[in-house]
Amino acid sequence: CKKSFLELAPVSNNSTNNFFKTKSDFDLAVNNAYSTLYTMYGPTGLVSYCGELMSDNATLYTVAGSGSITVGDRWAFRDYTLNPANNVVNQLWNDSYVSLYNLNIVLDRIQDATSLDAGYVTQVTAEMRFLRGMYYFYMVQAWGDVPLVTKPLTPGEAFTTGRTPRAEVYNQVIDDLKYAGDNLTAPDKVPAAGRASKGAALTLLGKVYLTMGNKTAAAQTLQQVYSSYNGNAYNLLPEFGSLWGATLAQKNTKESIFEIQYKGGANNPSSTYWPAFAPFENFAITRFGGGMNQVTDDLYNEYETGDKRRDTSFELGYLKGGNWIAIKFQKKWKDANAPIVNAAESCNNNFIIIRYADVLLMLTEATGDVQYMNRVRARAGLPLYGTAGYPAAQYPTLDLAIEHERRMEFAMEFHRWFDLKRTGRAVPVLSAKGKPVNANKLLLPIPQFARDQNPDLGQNDGY
Amino acid sequence: QENSSIVKGVVQNNNGDALAGVSVVIRNTANNFTSGTSTDSTGVFTFSRIPAGGPYKFTFSIVGYESQTLSGYNIKSDITLSLVVKMKDAANSLDQVIVIGYGSQRKRAVTGSVVSVSAEQFKDRSSSNVAQSIEGTVPGVNISTTQGAPGFGPTIRVRGINSITAGTNPLYVVDGMAMENFDLNIINAQDIQSIEILKDAASAAIYGSRGANGVIIVTTKLGKAGKPQVNLAYEQGLQKVTRKVEVMDAQQWIQYYIDARNNAWVASGPGRSATDPNSARGGNKTYLIPPDFINNPQQFGKGTDWQDVLFRTAHSQNIQASISGGTDRAQYLFSAGYLDQDAVVIDNFYKRLSLRMNIRQKITEKVTAGLNISFTGNHSRIDGVEGKSDVVSLAQQSDPIFPVYNENGNLGFLDPNSTWNRFTAYGVQLWHPYSLIKYANKRNKVYNTIGGGYIEIKPINDLTFKSSVNAILTQRNYNWFWQTNAGYGYSTLLPAEGRYQTYNNLNWLTENSLSYDKVLGDHTIGALVAYTAQKQRGDTSQQRGTNYPNDLVQTLNAAGTPTLSTTTAGEWALLSWLSRVSYSYKNRYFLNGTIRRDGSSRFGQASRWGYFPSLSVGWLISDESFMQSVSAINNLKLRVSYGATGNNQIPNYGPISLIDGVKYAYSDNVVNGSRVTTIPNPNLKWEKTTQFNVGFDLTALNNRINVTADFYNSITKDLLLNVPVPILTGFATQLTNIGRVRNRGVELAISSKNIVNSDLKWTTDFNIAANRNKVLQLGPNNAPVIVEEWGSRFVTEVGKPISNFVGYVFDGVYNNQDEINKGPQYASGVVVTPGDPKVRDVTGEGKIDATDRTILGNGQPDFTAGLTNTVSYKNFEFSFMLHGVFGNEIVNQQTRYNKYWNDSRNAYAAIGNYWKSEQQPGDGKTFKPNAEFKGMQTQFSSYWIEDGTFVRIKNIRLSYTLPKTVSSKLSFRTMRVYVNAENVHVFSKYLGYDPENSIYSTGTDAATSNTPFPPGLMVGADYGSYPIPLTVTFGLKVDL
Repeated sequence: CKKSFLELAPVSNNSTNNFFKTKSDFDLAVNNAYSTLYTMYGPTGLVSYCGELMSDNATLYTVAGSGSITVGDRWAFRDYTLNPANNVVNQLWNDSYVSLYNLNIVLDRIQDATSLDAGYVTQVTAEMRFLRGMYYFYMVQAWGDVPLVTKPLTPGEAFTTGRTPRAEVYNQVIDDLKYAGDNLTAPDKVPAAGRASKGAALTLLGKVYLTMGNKTAAAQTLQQVYSSYNGNAYNLLPEFGSLWGATLAQKNTKESIFEIQYKGGANNPSSTYWPAFAPFENFAITRFGGGMNQVTDDLYNEYETGDKRRDTSFELGYLKGGNWIAIKFQKKWKDANAPIVNAAESCNNNFIIIRYADVLLMLTEATGDVQYMNRVRARAGLPLYGTAGYPAAQYPTLDLAIEHERRMEFAMEFHRWFDLKRTGRAVPVLSAKGKPVNANKLLLPIPQFARDQNPDLGQNDGY
Repeated sequence: QENSSIVKGVVQNNNGDALAGVSVVIRNTANNFTSGTSTDSTGVFTFSRIPAGGPYKFTFSIVGYESQTLSGYNIKSDITLSLVVKMKDAANSLDQVIVIGYGSQRKRAVTGSVVSVSAEQFKDRSSSNVAQSIEGTVPGVNISTTQGAPGFGPTIRVRGINSITAGTNPLYVVDGMAMENFDLNIINAQDIQSIEILKDAASAAIYGSRGANGVIIVTTKLGKAGKPQVNLAYEQGLQKVTRKVEVMDAQQWIQYYIDARNNAWVASGPGRSATDPNSARGGNKTYLIPPDFINNPQQFGKGTDWQDVLFRTAHSQNIQASISGGTDRAQYLFSAGYLDQDAVVIDNFYKRLSLRMNIRQKITEKVTAGLNISFTGNHSRIDGVEGKSDVVSLAQQSDPIFPVYNENGNLGFLDPNSTWNRFTAYGVQLWHPYSLIKYANKRNKVYNTIGGGYIEIKPINDLTFKSSVNAILTQRNYNWFWQTNAGYGYSTLLPAEGRYQTYNNLNWLTENSLSYDKVLGDHTIGALVAYTAQKQRGDTSQQRGTNYPNDLVQTLNAAGTPTLSTTTAGEWALLSWLSRVSYSYKNRYFLNGTIRRDGSSRFGQASRWGYFPSLSVGWLISDESFMQSVSAINNLKLRVSYGATGNNQIPNYGPISLIDGVKYAYSDNVVNGSRVTTIPNPNLKWEKTTQFNVGFDLTALNNRINVTADFYNSITKDLLLNVPVPILTGFATQLTNIGRVRNRGVELAISSKNIVNSDLKWTTDFNIAANRNKVLQLGPNNAPVIVEEWGSRFVTEVGKPISNFVGYVFDGVYNNQDEINKGPQYASGVVVTPGDPKVRDVTGEGKIDATDRTILGNGQPDFTAGLTNTVSYKNFEFSFMLHGVFGNEIVNQQTRYNKYWNDSRNAYAAIGNYWKSEQQPGDGKTFKPNAEFKGMQTQFSSYWIEDGTFVRIKNIRLSYTLPKTVSSKLSFRTMRVYVNAENVHVFSKYLGYDPENSIYSTGTDAATSNTPFPPGLMVGADYGSYPIPLTVTFGLKVDL
């Protein structure tokens, strides 16, 4: 009696004492691992801040603070005035490692779960390593050298874990993605829509090679995707405008290679891109207006005449009490039928991380063959590259043409800044537009809070 | 010889009332003939058949009174001797019996540091919570009214802060029922007989793993044998906020607004000028100025003072009745009280009904049983205690230009049909505290039932077996309804929402003890062993819904869309063995030893059980023969004690790695996921505090002066720390036992009877205490524990007191570019222009960076003091009390709203004299407002820190008792009228409402904050707390 009186198991929680044993436990853990995408790719996640706000695509006006994050912390991304005390940087750092933990714990515990069949273990391992490779790929671009954590750490270990040189982080990324590419299933064989596939792993691996400057390996890998799936598993949708629809039929289309899954409604994991990117407290078009990633004139004006993509992507402003408020904002993720939950739109549309247009544009970038890029231009209703109508005066080289095309095609989809970094064009392009940027500033600072705990982390140059 | 004589007598108290149950012993000192009896319900005792002779000695004793001896009686045959004996109240005498853990002791035998507060000391005080009435009177017990809302309990800290992460609240023991985080509001102050506070570890060690924060023992009243006593009381009260926060009026604020936006515009790029019109400033709201502000600011007049809108003079009444009495075999008390108090915040109130029944019955000579039952019901609505986004804080932030109601009868400028809507284009904000009250209905209902039954059996002389069962049942429900769009008053338009929450908690305790007390000549021994088991289970539920068709039906059945429905439950259990041995020799040398063994479900399997021993000794020096010649000293006792106590106030499942649910969707299928939310720690155990205490109690100058002084040194080790760990683990913190903290301090209480004439009496009570707190060791690598909240930074590091405020030193304002050029360099991205704050280069490296942050202060006072003077003249009594706290600092967290420009909020009037230009530099310590701060303005600095020293006139009382001649004609025993004033005035420089206030965010925002907010870590931060009002009550008390 004495013993059981004091042995009280949690009433309202599971605990790790009785978890990570059965397949159903691991199914739940895998679902949780996918939910980290909501953080990493959320409207205020790492990829959004870097991909758009640090580029020439997006700007901020008045914007909400949140928790310990101030308006100034957000503006600093736009203005390249980041410092180590910036609370957003700290949050992005924290989010990244919390997300990694949720992958690593599965990878770690599944090795001890002897009752599971080998095929399941391989499948789960490959999915986790795909996500891990992807996260480190963005983290290494954002911070350069980062602590490379590939298993759950004890606090003692964590206090002494320093940063790993960028090249080694890239090795890990390639290892993970190769494993994923070798072991994941074909796109049409995934266990459920939204789960990682071989196609997704190879496309991402191609992008990693491209980013590392290895066009040959990139071309090879991307060709593998193209030759296996072009026209069957993957294809461009006929209409650019139907890519972000909120209905079931408009989700996980043939153009989608890896897509974050959302569902609107109360208590559902709903999408918030639409209200988060709507003008701050507009109270006219959305109930909630986050004011993140507002659209610059510079982006808007770069569209060629007749480019169908421009008016599909943006609003020029909104009417409020009879006044026209001229703030450009994006509408790719608009969900006019979104239910209102907790005073904000709870949207139903998905977010596509990798789509087939990217494979095509990367193929052109890796091979120099313009046929791929021209498929994208054709859909936009524009003259093909190399033909008479192409604005060759503005984009005299293929590199510039690709840069232009990617900006137009993927506007506000978190690509721009990474694209400019990859091609080495970030400093010239952004400085020309008035951003006080230099090579050092193309890396985020290591958060002061993390350095207070472990001074050995060091700091990136320029901070 | 014939045994035919009779001795009869009556025993009375000071007032001439009969005393029942007084033990009377008659003894012939020549031949040692002895007999004993006790008085009946009329105070009468009788000895018959007493042998003639003598000399005889009579000894009278009863708990609560000084023993009396009458000697030298020679009794002749066949006569009746009659005696009238008056017993003196034992208060302040060594024979006063005080309650200690699991028993009672004569004050003489107490060897620890125990303070006893009797009901007399808080009579006529108006606080519903008795702890507020003793604030400032007990040295070493720091009671702070952190929020002035009715029903809001004060923070109580005994002898400093000895925990960082675990709870710091003392353990409460109400009539034997031990409770953590108990709310003293549940106990009607009228029903309290005495409060004992166990300060040192030796006294508290008998409460083992829950004693480290001190123990407060509350004993409720029981009737005395004799005629039933009826006590009636009625009070009327008024409350008012007398110390408003000075904020800008509309005219000052408009200028501030214009300057902030112009400064931002000018700084946003080259060639921009403050005279540029809106049309030249692009579409960015940050730079725009409403034309009304330029063209016709006078239309706004002085505008709205939102504090005047929020606060009112509030009334209260309090009705009390009790009946008590009994016989020498049975005693009872019935009482009822009803408090109906309006709060100073409009529409807020606190009502409390309390009922009590205490009964004790002697069933046979060997068996006694008793039952105490009380019920307390509270209905309340309290706004303004949530800090930063609650109405009290918002009343200081809301823009003065807006009226309470717009021309449509709606509240806010978001009303699309109101002309005030023109301001929406400019990013002006209004949170409208009035709308948050009028358009959000809230109702909190709490019911507490405390019951305890016991039986005492004395199978043989000196041995007592006691068995008891106690339980407290708490039921709470909370209703919340937010009306559609809140009358356009809030900063955003929100749909209607309803919430309903319930909380049910049952905590039961059973105790079985055996005690033995024996006097053998010069030796007095006592022994106690007990076994106790306690368990608690709390169940919560929450429901929410939206999509209401209208605002008429507000319960959740009308909500079209349920948005939340959840229940949770938590449990803990505690098993204990405890024992005490006490011994005294010649009533002069005292020794007490205790030990408790606790096993708690909250701790890891590997460390579930622990021992908590203590040892204490006392020496009544004044009873030594060599002291008999020192006539100035009546009593002098030296006490030394050492003991170990624990603190178990951590989450119920702290050692276990918990898993929570998350969701993901595969295409349209929403699936569940499971996420690990905490790191496990199977070795988790209680914090252990060992404390050494030495003190003395002195009574001198014919009992006119009483002095109690103590010194203590305590070390708390195995601190339960939510240690911030690198996020590389996947978590921000881990609950760990690591680190040590030391508290050492001195306490002195002096009470003096200055004048003791029969008509005029004057007593002075003074106390002073100082505590020094130092962290000796922390987590891995002694890494400091850092908590940040909106920039403010609280650092706990080795060698320093807990929770220092750390930030930049603000050195005034740069008056021109030249000063900036000559000053230190700022980090990349920090743009400093004239009028911006000047930050001190603490390291002297010529640049300002994170290393220039330094210690700015601490919330712990250097010392605290209290002074009470009571003067009575004939039937009048007058008393006043001062309470002071000295040498602490406050982080005024309202700085981020009220002391610099923040998104068009209102500001302190005190910053109106800000820098305008080189020629108009203002007061030199206030930087210019800017709608886009690019310098160090928002960085945590000494700009946020204020001096926390204050002296408060805490209480003034005046009472008049009707002369007995008058009251007896009216057939009252006594009748008294009084006026009582609480919080009469506070002397302080603090910009906020009250330097005693403190509040900090209680929630955790896991995504953005580095650590949760441990209770010990943000002490001294004020985040828009509820002011402490002046309270004046008029009362009438009648005893029948």
